[in-house]
Amino acid sequence: MKKEKIFALVSFAALTGSMFSGCGSSSNGKTNSSSNAGGKVTIAVWNEPNTNEELNMYAQCEKKTGIDVEVTVIPESDYSSKLNQMVSTGDDSIDIYVVWENDIANFAHENGIVALDDYLSKSSIKTNDFIDAVEKLSSGLGGTYGLPWCAATELLYYNQDMFDAAGIEYPDNNWSYSDFKAAAEKLTKKASDGSTEIYGCTLPNTQTWWAGIGGAGDQVYDPSTGKLVIGDGAVSFVTDCLNMVKSGIMPAPSSDTADLFAAGKAAMSWQGSWNIGTYGSKLSFNWDIASIPTNKIKYNTLHTGFYTINAKSKNKDNAFKVIEYLMGEEGQTINSKASGNPSAIKSIADKGAWKVESATTVENWDAITDSLNAGVFGYTCLPSGVTNNAVSEFNSALLGQKTPQQAVENALKYANETIG
Amino acid sequence: MVPNKFNKKILKRNLTAYAFCLPWFIGFICFTLFPIIFMFAVSLTNRKLNGKSSFVGFSNYAAMFQSPTFWNSLKITIFFTVIMMAVTTVWAVIMAMLLNHKQKLNGIFQFFYFIPSVVPTISLAYAFRTIFGKDAGLLNYVISMISGKNTSINWMYDPHTVYLVIFFITLFTYNTGQMMLVFRSSLNDVPRELYEACDMDGAGALRKFTMVTIPMISPIILFNSVTGCISALNGSFALLYPLTGENGDPNGMTQVLSLLIYKEAFSNMKVGYASALSVILFLIACLFGIIIFAFSKKTVYYEN
Repeated sequence: MKKEKIFALVSFAALTGSMFSGCGSSSNGKTNSSSNAGGKVTIAVWNEPNTNEELNMYAQCEKKTGIDVEVTVIPESDYSSKLNQMVSTGDDSIDIYVVWENDIANFAHENGIVALDDYLSKSSIKTNDFIDAVEKLSSGLGGTYGLPWCAATELLYYNQDMFDAAGIEYPDNNWSYSDFKAAAEKLTKKASDGSTEIYGCTLPNTQTWWAGIGGAGDQVYDPSTGKLVIGDGAVSFVTDCLNMVKSGIMPAPSSDTADLFAAGKAAMSWQGSWNIGTYGSKLSFNWDIASIPTNKIKYNTLHTGFYTINAKSKNKDNAFKVIEYLMGEEGQTINSKASGNPSAIKSIADKGAWKVESATTVENWDAITDSLNAGVFGYTCLPSGVTNNAVSEFNSALLGQKTPQQAVENALKYANETIG
Repeated sequence: MVPNKFNKKILKRNLTAYAFCLPWFIGFICFTLFPIIFMFAVSLTNRKLNGKSSFVGFSNYAAMFQSPTFWNSLKITIFFTVIMMAVTTVWAVIMAMLLNHKQKLNGIFQFFYFIPSVVPTISLAYAFRTIFGKDAGLLNYVISMISGKNTSINWMYDPHTVYLVIFFITLFTYNTGQMMLVFRSSLNDVPRELYEACDMDGAGALRKFTMVTIPMISPIILFNSVTGCISALNGSFALLYPLTGENGDPNGMTQVLSLLIYKEAFSNMKVGYASALSVILFLIACLFGIIIFAFSKKTVYYEN
């Protein structure tokens, strides 16, 4: 009996202890001590650092600042939600968050990140030299809470070999939307049974739907209300895409994960500028870029992330030193070379480090600067659930499951339900 | 004196027994009961993923009941649960019966039938997504090769084929494989003499199946139906998210509640609203359990 009792007590203690062993603060296992005399700073990002040390801005930062930079990579699909959870729980394991456009205002309002104004007043970072869109996005927060790590744009990618074969002039940065539609029709190649062998253009992706809608005249995002603003422009663009799908110029939405442009199955594609580095010299054909064709207005969405300092960080000073390096000319140049994305600091961007060396067939580099000037922070400021839902609605219209008008109305209704 | 001593002894023994049970109860309270209560509490707030929260009463529920997205998702969830439960259970019974036939290489057949079940659902879903693609799909390619005609069926985005594809894929999930093993084990436990008696009475295979096999394995059918139902309600997320995305494409046709909960909590950051949806999912799971157990009172046969 006594043995049973002892066993029960020991079991109870062991099981209870084991249950709570995982409940300690995440910071317990972390220390600020480091083998490096400069201390350690952790940074959360969604993309893996470059494997080439020369192009790894964090590795170079360590060398220059003497601070250990520990990079925590969070998958892109979960990135925003993980950061929100970290802010919610007061997590201090990350010192620098690279925050997306749709989160920075919330994090600032919730005091999850600190204002950088005091640091900036003593810093060499050229905050008065940012591209205009960054200035606009940061205004209204009551201070500078984040510094843009780059400025990515959206572009038209085209297969030069297919243009040559069809005898069509290459697109330039002043191409109109009607030029684009006419070329897409001519570039489409059909098989004898009427099915499409080569599409004139790929379907817009989750990002470039908004370039088409904004170009068709809709505001897309209203910064004063934080709401989705779409209407006639969206109906017009969805209708155009529907007509192109019906006539086989554009593929219908499907579960295919293959990149039809890279596979040589589509002559043109609207995609983010970061694909220049991805394609490099890997494609089996000659290709180049141009600005997104101009419909009613010249429009594309800018993409960035903001270096911010976690309000709970115990290494704020070192964190700012790391940010200062990454925002400086050397850090920005390495980032541009590695990613192909221009700096959001105009004087650094003008030097053209973003011209990816491996993209040997690209000549129209002016498309990047032209797109940067036309770019706005649009749909990226909205919750991703709202914009993904809208794209799903547009796809339903392309599949003939509802009219473009109904798709746009549904998207707007859901956005209003969600944003309030 | 004696009864008092006796009572004390019983009390001590009971306390010892309770001490053995206590760790499980603490685990249940901390990791099951508390989250359920917390979920109910959060559903009465407008809590965001970044922690911002204030009490809003039942307004999340009011908004939910006015939302066409919710009603569509509820309808899809019930449809999916019923069909998935039926399809996986029937398929598992069929596979178990086939494997129960005494023949050579049975172990190898069982291995091949079960192996897809141990593949992580996410990997399985991505593999099937590639197979059922439209322009670059393996199945369309094979059909084109066989027929000599260009085939481009949009399997996952055509309203006429999407459910067929999804329910077909569920046959390869862990849940179905596990059910098959449980059914196979229970089929072995059906007394042989009952089949011998049937043979003597001249009963055919179908009659033996309906009058002997089904009643004898009915408790296991009940068990598998309940676990299949819970799995369909909660586990369908891992299968559907990589296949049809958080919006349940096409046109919300596969947007079960678990997908909607994920979308509201992690894409729209509305944890309070997502918790209200979770409460509904919890109630649906309870309701399905109650219905299955009520139905089983009349249909399940227990030997003792």
